Amino acid sequence: MRWAGKDALGAAGVLALLALIPAVTHSDYLIGILTVSLIFGIWAASWDFMSGLTGRENFGHALFIGAGAYTAALLNSKLDLSPWWCLPAGALTAVGFSLIIGFPTLRLRGPYFALAMLAAATIMQRLMRIFWEFTGGEEGIPGLDPLFESHVGTYYFCLFALTVTTAVLLALARSSWGTILRAIRGDEAACQAAGINVTFYKIAALMISAAFAGAGGVLYAHYQEAVTPDVFAVALSITIIIMVYVGGMGSIYGPVAGGIILALLPELLRGLGEYRLWVYSVILMLILFFAPGGLVAPLWRRLTAVAR
Amino acid sequence: MFNILVYGAVTSAVYAMLAVGFTLIFGVARILNLSHGAFYGLGAYAAYVLTAKLHWPLLPAAVFSVLFVAAFGALVERFLVRPLRASALAVLMITLAVALLFEQGMFILFGSEARNVPAFSTATWTYSGLDISGQRLLTLAAGFVVLGVLYIFIQRTRLGSAILAISQDPEGAQYMGIPANRMYSLVMALSAGIAATAGVLTAPFLTVQPTMDLLPMVKAFAIVIVGGLGSIPGSILAALLLGYSETIVAYTISPAWTEIVSLIAVLLTLILRPAGLLGTRAAF
Amino acid sequence: MRRSLSVCAIAALGLLGGASLALAEEKPIVIGADSPIQVQVGRDTVDTLQMAIDEINAKGGVLGRKLTLAVADETLDPQQGVAAIKKLTGEEHVDVLIGGYSSGVTLAEEPHIADAKTIYLGVGSASPTITDFVGKNYKRFKYIFRVSPPNSTHQGELIEDFVIGKLKGEFGYNTIAIVGENAVWVQGLVPVLKAGVEKAGVKVPMVELFDPDMSDFSPLLSKVKDTGAQYLLILVSHANSDVLVKQWYDAKFPIPMGGIDVKGQDPDFFERIGGKAIGEVVTNGIIPAPITPKTMPFWNAFTERYHRSPVYTAPGAYDALQVYVQAVERAKSTDPEKVIPELEKTNYVGTQGTYVFDKHHDIESGPGKINTLFVQWQEGGKRVVVWPKDVANGKMILPPWISQRAEVIK
Repeated sequence: MRWAGKDALGAAGVLALLALIPAVTHSDYLIGILTVSLIFGIWAASWDFMSGLTGRENFGHALFIGAGAYTAALLNSKLDLSPWWCLPAGALTAVGFSLIIGFPTLRLRGPYFALAMLAAATIMQRLMRIFWEFTGGEEGIPGLDPLFESHVGTYYFCLFALTVTTAVLLALARSSWGTILRAIRGDEAACQAAGINVTFYKIAALMISAAFAGAGGVLYAHYQEAVTPDVFAVALSITIIIMVYVGGMGSIYGPVAGGIILALLPELLRGLGEYRLWVYSVILMLILFFAPGGLVAPLWRRLTAVAR
Repeated sequence: MFNILVYGAVTSAVYAMLAVGFTLIFGVARILNLSHGAFYGLGAYAAYVLTAKLHWPLLPAAVFSVLFVAAFGALVERFLVRPLRASALAVLMITLAVALLFEQGMFILFGSEARNVPAFSTATWTYSGLDISGQRLLTLAAGFVVLGVLYIFIQRTRLGSAILAISQDPEGAQYMGIPANRMYSLVMALSAGIAATAGVLTAPFLTVQPTMDLLPMVKAFAIVIVGGLGSIPGSILAALLLGYSETIVAYTISPAWTEIVSLIAVLLTLILRPAGLLGTRAAF
Repeated sequence: MRRSLSVCAIAALGLLGGASLALAEEKPIVIGADSPIQVQVGRDTVDTLQMAIDEINAKGGVLGRKLTLAVADETLDPQQGVAAIKKLTGEEHVDVLIGGYSSGVTLAEEPHIADAKTIYLGVGSASPTITDFVGKNYKRFKYIFRVSPPNSTHQGELIEDFVIGKLKGEFGYNTIAIVGENAVWVQGLVPVLKAGVEKAGVKVPMVELFDPDMSDFSPLLSKVKDTGAQYLLILVSHANSDVLVKQWYDAKFPIPMGGIDVKGQDPDFFERIGGKAIGEVVTNGIIPAPITPKTMPFWNAFTERYHRSPVYTAPGAYDALQVYVQAVERAKSTDPEKVIPELEKTNYVGTQGTYVFDKHHDIESGPGKINTLFVQWQEGGKRVVVWPKDVANGKMILPPWISQRAEVIK
């Protein structure tokens, strides 16, 4: 698969749009929620790389996010480590978790792998509450340092991180790596028979997925300037899966768009007061029902196919 | 200790009712039904509405609630799940959306605070130092009855055999003239009905809140995996194991660790014996 | 409507001269409510603020300006909480924030509130960590104030008081069991409480913390019984106290129970669980009794307007707004730099008691300040204040099945 000119143009367009936003608005609110949306984009893309390509749905992606976030929080608050060092530290910790949990569980099929990851993430969430002396329990660890003093600075850095994430993952997905991962989804036994070291590729994919998710977790921790056990929650993992789904599984860029859109949606619905989350659920249900292949990626392909 | 024996049994009975429905729908229709917890919750809320708002007497309210949720389950299968059966993930997502809608709907209609459902029995038994309410014992008994009836239904009736056939080989069964789609609706209705029964029975001594669907679902999921997907005896065995381990942990170690027990059990099972205790289908 | 009025006003006053002065007077003071509106405590905060705002506007507003309300749902998720704060400060440009419930959310929101240089009056979260920040970095966090309820450490001291004065002093209990949800506020409170009562000769054979999601308390209650404790002190906020109390009642548990039970403060708690709360003692900030001259007028106004009884964040929000308004009037400005010093001088009698801030901007508690009442659910859902002695209006009873057993034994 090669880069189509249209795709590159589309990506550049979206990037330019996002980059211009701080220039046209001074709303700290808009910049804030967009920053979070970009981070969700990173998480969605990282999920898609592993689960979208191999078909092994990971219901505990929050495990890696939380690993990154709490590593950053602990290093920053207890050892005064600068947020910039926390980034690689968080990503590495997440990779470590992926190795520990990946080896025993990646050989499992579909719902079993999903459940194992879900269990692992939820166990971490509960452990954060049980060992409250270190982790602050349900109140979490507040008072973290931000990456930049300026909120606009943080926004641009997250945009940069998202761009790098998407570029790297997209490149990998479109290379022979991606082909192999997709082949594994199709028929793992055949791949094994063809001499491919399936285990290596699966673990590597999980590690890469974890690294980016963990990095995103660090960015999130330093944006919020606090972490709580919610960062390991099932709800977060499921939210990300929904984002990927809406964006179009397996396309990497679709989930990025899906992440941004679905992270913004509850905020845009704030005018609905009490009914906000209910309307959000209804919208979700409609999308899930009428667009089972996702919204963004199929739409983009359709648009550009016409012009190809 | 006698306490542990009895309390553990009640907990296990509730878990068994939740798990069996879950494993039924997965074993037969390959649907990972994430709205299963919502069926449990709907049963409890329906009983609440009928008794507290419409002032129905308890028994008709309970029966009606169960039937209502069973019908709701069948409708969900027919209109939301069936069109998307081609993709397992799509089915997963849509059942998730149903669960979300349930939670939000209950929030809006009834508020966030816990609601009350009257108990069938307000008696309390005291026996050798153990205090147990009549409602709990009733739940335990009902668990036995429901599971027993289900077992007989599956093993001894034609409809039950049809369900078994579909679960083993959907195409083969259809060649034999068994209407697969109708069977799926039936199984979903059964599954929902059992979950609702658990909801109605436990509502008086547990909680009726919009968020009540999440934890029972995770536990049902856990039990089903540990027992072996698709195996009803496996689910029951696992429910007993889990119910008792939670009770024992609460007694001997600390109640702070009870909720983590099921999760650790799941993880260990998946790592050490992925097919589950009595699983017939391999996890690989 | 306002727009066209302003235009007319400008035109009219422009003719007379002094137009700009009049224009400045028009701008309303925006009160930002950041509260989890899907939960009762959140709804009550918002409704109370609306009611209070209407009352103040009817009397001419503040410094000649009207008050308006802006609401944002902070939910129980810190991420949405931070977004809510940014919406209120960054977009609606509120002059003050009043709200809060979950300490985890409030702690996450704090730096963002401070960076927006907006005053915050907390009416729901009780973690002392919230105001610790004010002490550690006054320059950045001086905007943060906590109005209600007393923080969890203070509450521990007030409970100690209750145990020694009431349980030991009047009932002669000298063995109590402490059971609480496994949360940071409990973990901080318990060691202090235990040490305090043990010093006064009360034995504590059991301290158990349970997972807040626990829904079956029978094993736990059984364990408590085995210790031979004479009173069960509970510390519950987010956990399912409905279930705990129902199960306590259903099992005809032979030990009376009471303590901090946030859900048990709800006026409809008794009815909600079918009357099974009888005999439970619950700490409360307000009940329909004249704690101060302002209590009953507030209670009546709220129940008349909203056809339900208020929960604990309501009086807090009501008084918080008054505290702010009075500080603004003293400062003759809404500029936070001028209002904060006035807030620090607050000495206000509200609906729950007298409000005075300590040097960390946390509310002071105790007799003469904001006191915590120990209120017992009695026959028919009646609530009786049983402690402290000077405000008690009834005797503490034993749950009916326990007193009946005592009768039988006699």
